[in-house]
Amino acid sequence: MTDRHDMSEMDEKLVNVKIDGKAITAPASLSAIQALWYAGYPRIKSVGCLEGVCGSCRVLVRRAGNPEVHTQLGCQTLIEEGMQVMFLVFPRPTHHTYKLEDISSSWEVQTKFHQIFPEASRCRECRGCNASCPKGIDVMRGVELASKGRFREAGELFVECVMCDLCLTACPELIAPNHVGLFSRRVTAYFHTRPSNLIRRLEGLQRGKFELINRDGKPS
Amino acid sequence: MTGIPYSEALAHYQSAKPRSLKASDMATDQLLRAFHPDYREDSLLSLRVGPNQGDQCHRQLAELLQADARIDEADLAGASIVKTDVLVIGGGGAGCAAALIAEQSGARVIMATKLRLGDSNTVMAEGGIQASIERGDTPQMHLDDSLKAGHYKGDPKLVAKMVMDAPDVIRWLIQQGMQFDLNEFGDLMTRRAGGTSADRVVYYRDYTGLEMMRALRESVRNSKIDVWDYSPVVELMSNESGHCAGAVISNLKDCSYVLIEAQSVILATGGIGRMHLNGFPTSNHFGATGDGLVLAYRLGAKLRDLDSFQYHPTGLAYPQHLAGTLITEGVRSAGAQLLNGLGERFVDELKTRDHVSAAILKECAEGRGVRLDENTAGVWLDTPGVERSNPGILAERLPKLVELGNKCGINPAEMPLLVYPTLHYQNGGVVIDEHGHSTVPGLYCVGEVSGGIHGRNRIMGNALLEVISFGRRAGLQAARMSHGRGHKKVTIGHLSKLRRELAVAGMPMEIKGPMLFPECAKFEKDADYEGFRRKK
Repeated sequence: MTDRHDMSEMDEKLVNVKIDGKAITAPASLSAIQALWYAGYPRIKSVGCLEGVCGSCRVLVRRAGNPEVHTQLGCQTLIEEGMQVMFLVFPRPTHHTYKLEDISSSWEVQTKFHQIFPEASRCRECRGCNASCPKGIDVMRGVELASKGRFREAGELFVECVMCDLCLTACPELIAPNHVGLFSRRVTAYFHTRPSNLIRRLEGLQRGKFELINRDGKPS
Repeated sequence: MTGIPYSEALAHYQSAKPRSLKASDMATDQLLRAFHPDYREDSLLSLRVGPNQGDQCHRQLAELLQADARIDEADLAGASIVKTDVLVIGGGGAGCAAALIAEQSGARVIMATKLRLGDSNTVMAEGGIQASIERGDTPQMHLDDSLKAGHYKGDPKLVAKMVMDAPDVIRWLIQQGMQFDLNEFGDLMTRRAGGTSADRVVYYRDYTGLEMMRALRESVRNSKIDVWDYSPVVELMSNESGHCAGAVISNLKDCSYVLIEAQSVILATGGIGRMHLNGFPTSNHFGATGDGLVLAYRLGAKLRDLDSFQYHPTGLAYPQHLAGTLITEGVRSAGAQLLNGLGERFVDELKTRDHVSAAILKECAEGRGVRLDENTAGVWLDTPGVERSNPGILAERLPKLVELGNKCGINPAEMPLLVYPTLHYQNGGVVIDEHGHSTVPGLYCVGEVSGGIHGRNRIMGNALLEVISFGRRAGLQAARMSHGRGHKKVTIGHLSKLRRELAVAGMPMEIKGPMLFPECAKFEKDADYEGFRRKK
C-alpha cells in the first residue's frame, strides 16, 4: 500500500470522519491510517505492514446510522461519511505458554493441549470471537475442534489468521482462541509434516552426495 | 503518461487470441541499461564519507548514510544500562531465527524491535522459499541459478553455504510448526521462480511469510528471549577496541534512552522500501527505512552494491491507495501472462525480475502501456488466463491474490489486474562472512540488511531462505563468541569521528539518521514521542 497521500486525488470525493476523536476530512479512497496521516496527525503505534497481514492496526469502527461497533484492521478499513474509528491498544500477551519439544509424541498432544489451554473446553459459545475476527474466521468452531482433538481440522480454519489478538480480547473465558488455532497448526506440522522429497534430499546431503563446484571448476 | 486508454486497452485484452511472444529486440543487458531504474544516471552519486568513500550509491540512501546522528553523549547522561550476551535488533524472520538459535545455544538474548515482534517484510512475503529437493534438482543448480540471476556479482562462498543449508532450513521451519503446501503423497509442492532451471520454491499458499512468521513469533514468545517492542535503535555502541558492544534504544513507551550492552550485536533490520527510491511505490512494510545500513556504516562496517535494488515486476498499479501492493511471482509461475495495452505479450514472464520489470517500464515508456490518468499506467496481469487453464487454482493456491482483488472490487478470475513495478528489495547491504559477521568485530548482519548473496538481482524464494540460513548461522556464532571478557568502556565515541568527517567533507548536518519512520507518519511532529529528538 502506498504511503503517499499528497496525490492527484484532490478532485476526489471527500468524506468526514472521526478518528481517535479527531474530526478529519479526507478522500474516500483512503484507509483509516492514511486518513490520519493525510490530516497531519502522527501515527506510528499500531501501524505495520499496511497490507492486512501483520495484525497491528486493530480498530473499533462505527458507521453512520448504525449503533453497532465492529472490530477491524485500520489499514483495511476505507473511510466513509460519518464513520467513527478508534485505535485499540494491544492486550497483555496471553498467559498460555508451551514448547513443542515438550510434547513427546503425537499421542500426547491432546492431553498436553488441555493442560496448556484448560479454558478451551469451557467455551460458553458466546460467539464473541467470531464477531470480533476481521478475517471472518469461524474461531469458535476452531476452538471446539481443538478441544475434541481434531487439531488438523481446527488449524485449517485459521489459515487467514494474522494474530491480531482481537478474539483474545473478546473472549470472556480467556481462551486465547487465536493461540489455540496456532497451536493446532503447529502440532500438525511438527508431528505430521514428513515430506519424502525433503527427507530423501536430507539423507543425500548427509552422505555427502552433493558437493558443490565453483565456476572455475574447483570444489567450493 | 502516454499509453492506450483503459477502455480501449480492455477491448484489446478481451478480443482474446492465442498470444505468442513478440520477438524481443533487446538483450537483457541492453534492456536494463535503457529502462531499469538502477541505471538512471541522475539517481547515483559517489559517497564522500565512510568506509565506502568513492563508491557509487543511490542518492536517497547516500543522504542517510552521510547524515548526522540523532543523539550525542549528553543525551545519554543518566540513561539506564541493561546487560546481555546477544542483542538482536529487528523482529522479522532473520531476527527471530538468530535469537532462537542464540538462546538455544545458552546465551542471554534481548530482541529489540522498532515496532512489534513480527512486524517485518517477512510476514508479507508470499512466493515461498528456495530449497533444492526435487529429483531433477541439486544444490549446485540452485547455486548456479542464484549467481547467474545476480549477474555473477554475488559472493559464491555465501551462496554456497545458503544452498547447502536450504533443505535443513525447511526441516527446522517444520520443527517450529510451520506448514507447507503438500501434494497427495505428503511431498512438498514446488513452483518455479523466474530465471531458474528447476521447480524449487516450496510455499504455503501465497501466505508463506505469514505462516513462517506465525510459527516463529510463537517460538520466540515461548522462549526466554526478552522481547522489547517499540524500541528503535538510534545508535550502536562500541568498546575501547572498536568492538561493537551494544546499542542505544529510544523507548517509545516512556520516551527515554536505554543502553543495552552486549557481547555481540546482530542487526536484522531489513530493507529500504519506504525510502521510495526514484519515486516508486513499494511493496514493503512501514518500518523498512534502511536503519541498519546507517547504523552499521557509522560504526565502520563496509557495505556493498548500494546502487542495486529490486523492483518487483508485479506491484498493483491501481487503485491509488493500494498502489505498490505486491502480487506474488507465484501467479506468473502458475502461468499468468503479461500483456500490454494492445493485448500483446511482450516478455517471457519467467525471466529474472530485473528483466521483466525493465520490459514493463519499456512498454509504458514507449506508449504501449494501459493508461489510467496522467500519473498511472501499467500492463495487464492475465489472471483469468490462469484460471481458465487451471480452474480453481486462484482460490486454492493464491488466496491473498483473491483477497486483494476483493479490496479492488475486481474478481481476478474474470478481470486482469493492472500492474507496474514496485520497489521491493535491497540487493546489496552490509558485507558479511559465512557467519553473518560484518567487517566490524562483534557486529553481525543478517537478512535484507546484509549484502553479497543476491548480486544485482534476487530470485524468488532466496530472501526467505537467506533470513533463516544466515539468521541461524549468526545466532550460533554470536552465542559462541559471547563468553569472553566484558567490555571496559562502552561509548558512542565513533560519532565524534563521524561528525569530523562530515564537517571536513562539507556535508549538510540538518539531516538526521537513521530515518526510523517514513515521513508520512509525521513522527517528528508528535509531542508524544519527544524522546526521539535531540534535546536543544
